[in-house]
Amino acid sequence: MESHETLKHYKILPIFRGFLFEILGNIFGILLVVLVRVLMRLPAWKPEPAIVVGSLFGALFFLYGVGVLDDWFKWVAGGETPEHEDEVGQWGWKRYFSVSHDHKVIGMQYLALALILFTVGGTFALIFRTELAEPGLQFLSPIEYNTLMSLHGIVMIIGILIGISAVMNYTVPLLIGAKDMAFPRLNAFSFWIAVPSVVILLSSMAFGGFDTGWTGYPPLSIRAPLGMQMFFLGVSLSSFSSILSALNILVTVIRLRARGMTPFRLPIFIWAAIATSVIAMTATQLIGLAFQMVMLERLLGMGFFDPINGGNPILFEHLFWFYSHPAVYVFILPGLGVISELLPVFVRKPLYGYKWVAMSSLGIAFSGFLVWGHHMFASGMAEYLRQPFMYSTLLVAVPTGVKFFSWVATLWKGKISFPTPMLFVLGSIVVFLLGGLSGPPNGTVSTDLLLNNTYFILGHFHDTLFGGYVLPFFAAIYYWWPKMTGKRLNEKLGKVHFWLMAPPMVVLTLLMMRIGLLGMRRRVDDYDPSLGFTPYHIIMTIMGFLIGLSVIFFFINVWLTAKRGEVVKGNVWESRSPEWQVPNPMPVHNYDREVIVVGNPYDYGLPGSRYVIFEGDEIPPDEGAAKPQLVPEPTSGNS
Amino acid sequence: MVETSEIVQAKKTSPYQLGLQVFIVLAILTAVEFVFAFYLNVWPVLALVALSKGGLVMYYYMHISRLFEVDRTEDRESFAYKLSSNRLGLWFFMLSDGFIFGGLFIARFNLLALSRPDVNQFLGLTITSVLLISSFFANRAEVSMEHGNKSRALSSLLITIILGLLFLIGVLGVEWRIAPFGPGDGAQGAVFYSMTGFHAFHVLTGIIFLTIIRRNIARDRFTSEKHWGVEAAVVYWHFVDFIWIFFYPALYLIGVVIH
Repeated sequence: MESHETLKHYKILPIFRGFLFEILGNIFGILLVVLVRVLMRLPAWKPEPAIVVGSLFGALFFLYGVGVLDDWFKWVAGGETPEHEDEVGQWGWKRYFSVSHDHKVIGMQYLALALILFTVGGTFALIFRTELAEPGLQFLSPIEYNTLMSLHGIVMIIGILIGISAVMNYTVPLLIGAKDMAFPRLNAFSFWIAVPSVVILLSSMAFGGFDTGWTGYPPLSIRAPLGMQMFFLGVSLSSFSSILSALNILVTVIRLRARGMTPFRLPIFIWAAIATSVIAMTATQLIGLAFQMVMLERLLGMGFFDPINGGNPILFEHLFWFYSHPAVYVFILPGLGVISELLPVFVRKPLYGYKWVAMSSLGIAFSGFLVWGHHMFASGMAEYLRQPFMYSTLLVAVPTGVKFFSWVATLWKGKISFPTPMLFVLGSIVVFLLGGLSGPPNGTVSTDLLLNNTYFILGHFHDTLFGGYVLPFFAAIYYWWPKMTGKRLNEKLGKVHFWLMAPPMVVLTLLMMRIGLLGMRRRVDDYDPSLGFTPYHIIMTIMGFLIGLSVIFFFINVWLTAKRGEVVKGNVWESRSPEWQVPNPMPVHNYDREVIVVGNPYDYGLPGSRYVIFEGDEIPPDEGAAKPQLVPEPTSGNS
Repeated sequence: MVETSEIVQAKKTSPYQLGLQVFIVLAILTAVEFVFAFYLNVWPVLALVALSKGGLVMYYYMHISRLFEVDRTEDRESFAYKLSSNRLGLWFFMLSDGFIFGGLFIARFNLLALSRPDVNQFLGLTITSVLLISSFFANRAEVSMEHGNKSRALSSLLITIILGLLFLIGVLGVEWRIAPFGPGDGAQGAVFYSMTGFHAFHVLTGIIFLTIIRRNIARDRFTSEKHWGVEAAVVYWHFVDFIWIFFYPALYLIGVVIH
């Protein structure tokens, strides 16, 4: 255990060093603003610019303090830094709290941050869910309710984006047989910029909160308390995490695939990762821009969105939804990719219609760019835009339908087994189906004008995000946990986790849809008892707590497994994927021999078929004579 | 033998000439654009001119075709293989960054439609020319580096940096001071200061990159074979110029002046 050379000079744990520097950066930024204001002969102290600039410098100083910029500074000075492959030493548990260039460590750092955010966001939800159980305001003030409701939304969204980065960072290089990502330093940067941005985002609670919901529509957001700025700044900064991570994934997939891994021999999850990264890399800039424009409007009075100052609030909605609708495909595409990836493993059958599923991911991504207007049917957008957006929205159902067809056909007559990851996969198909079926009523203008801003919308998107993201996310965790830690998560506790999570979610969202149809408005802290919604709200609150309980079971499971879990050495799920052909946990530099792809990824159950071999392996004699070639051959009947 | 050396000789001289020829075409197009805007202000023509200029910069200065070069090696650890990956990464970054400017562009036409801020035409043409000339010298620096002509690379980079600073002074120091409106004055203030501000920030980062690589060239950190840092900084600089090719007509030429 030789200690890492670049880490030696840090006396304290880099993450704490980062937070220390963040505080210094805050002070520096505030002093800078005071200085500039004094020089400009303005009153020295104005809270809003001082705190915003202070937080911005805090984030920059954090990055410096944690050490993620060190290598780049060395390059600037004309020096050389060791390649990731040359880095030796593990530095024990401390490497999870310091800058590591290993994609597996970064993936687990992302995972920890995502789970923290889910816990925080879920706690917010439980707090205001409890408040909603009875009509009237019991223990929250309206601004507290609004802040918690808004933060629940945005914390969950950032958590999902980080959770996607977790799954993609960990699995993509493994699935394509690469040693690491194409840009390991950029990868570390993408993670570490998320940390201060989350801190800034959550600090909005300390600065008066905000009351716009997660969408932050102006002109309300121009007049909201100072917490609004922290929300905008936090989301803008974390958008860099998403963008750079997506860029890295794309280059990695294009450049570092294993030999013989032609486009239609890519694991299906990689197709989803490509589709999601294309959206995240491009459209994310627009939410960052829209939020920065509101920040500028608040700081300098620039009239972008406030009609009083010549602006146009609809413009914000366009810029915002141009990202934020494709963003939901950023959330669900990796989830659906996980479903398609894991299903054949547990059904022991080839994935049905591989090429169609691969193309459907791209289809969802590209049609996703054309549908943002369906969020604005009731916003005052030009009326002639409604129909085209309605049709393009309904078009998204086609590639999604392809995926469902493939899943059902893959399940058909398979040898299905039901370990925990498979339960989550099946659960997500069911829940996502509910979300999908409740989508067209929102996408159709005539019904949306009725359903707009009701609990029906809540039911719809909680189902899609739960089925399309949360359940596949846990499936992926249960599936790849042995790869990450060398120990398998406890099956019994895992099943308790599933049965406490999925069915209550279905009940919760169906009730949301029901009272939404009956007229319950979303985002309100109170409702009229005479509407008769109280029993529904009580049941929904109980269901919310059951979901919270299920997550506690998950954490207990993680803890118990770490203490005395079942150590698993080999291919736990009998998968054909290259990462399961090497020991658990994954070796430091992934594959010490080159991975060579010689067959199709999902030919489960086809005798004599192979997906990967390692350099130096002999091709088995029974097929060696017939097909030693590395070029693709006609697929075996399923695509 | 004679033939190959002749080819090498031809290769050594032609890129300078090519860079110069491209620059001359760009300059003529800019002049046409400027004159056209005053006599016959039809925005599709201006858009077409801007697109042609952007295409020229992207093809001849930013070398987009390098993205499609076939790998000479399969060795993942080799410099050549990593170079191609780096190029791809840089282009993805610029694509992503382009969306910010695209968003500002949309905001400009959404808020102001076919009217434009009341800004100084002469200054606009001057700073545009300055940036265009700087792009020529940036290209010259890169080509010199490729041919191992270190002193020429250094002098070209110095000129590029000085021109970049002049551009910044022109925008932040002069334009922002003499503009008859402030950032808080309605939509035109918002549009003008945000577009120039976001762009000036990129110019500033570009100047910083160029300064860093100039220092490292001076200290012999790059060779004629391995100079990815030079290429990246120069391509980024052209990208900043590329953006301005579209911002210039959007801010200065298209539409009628708001009074």
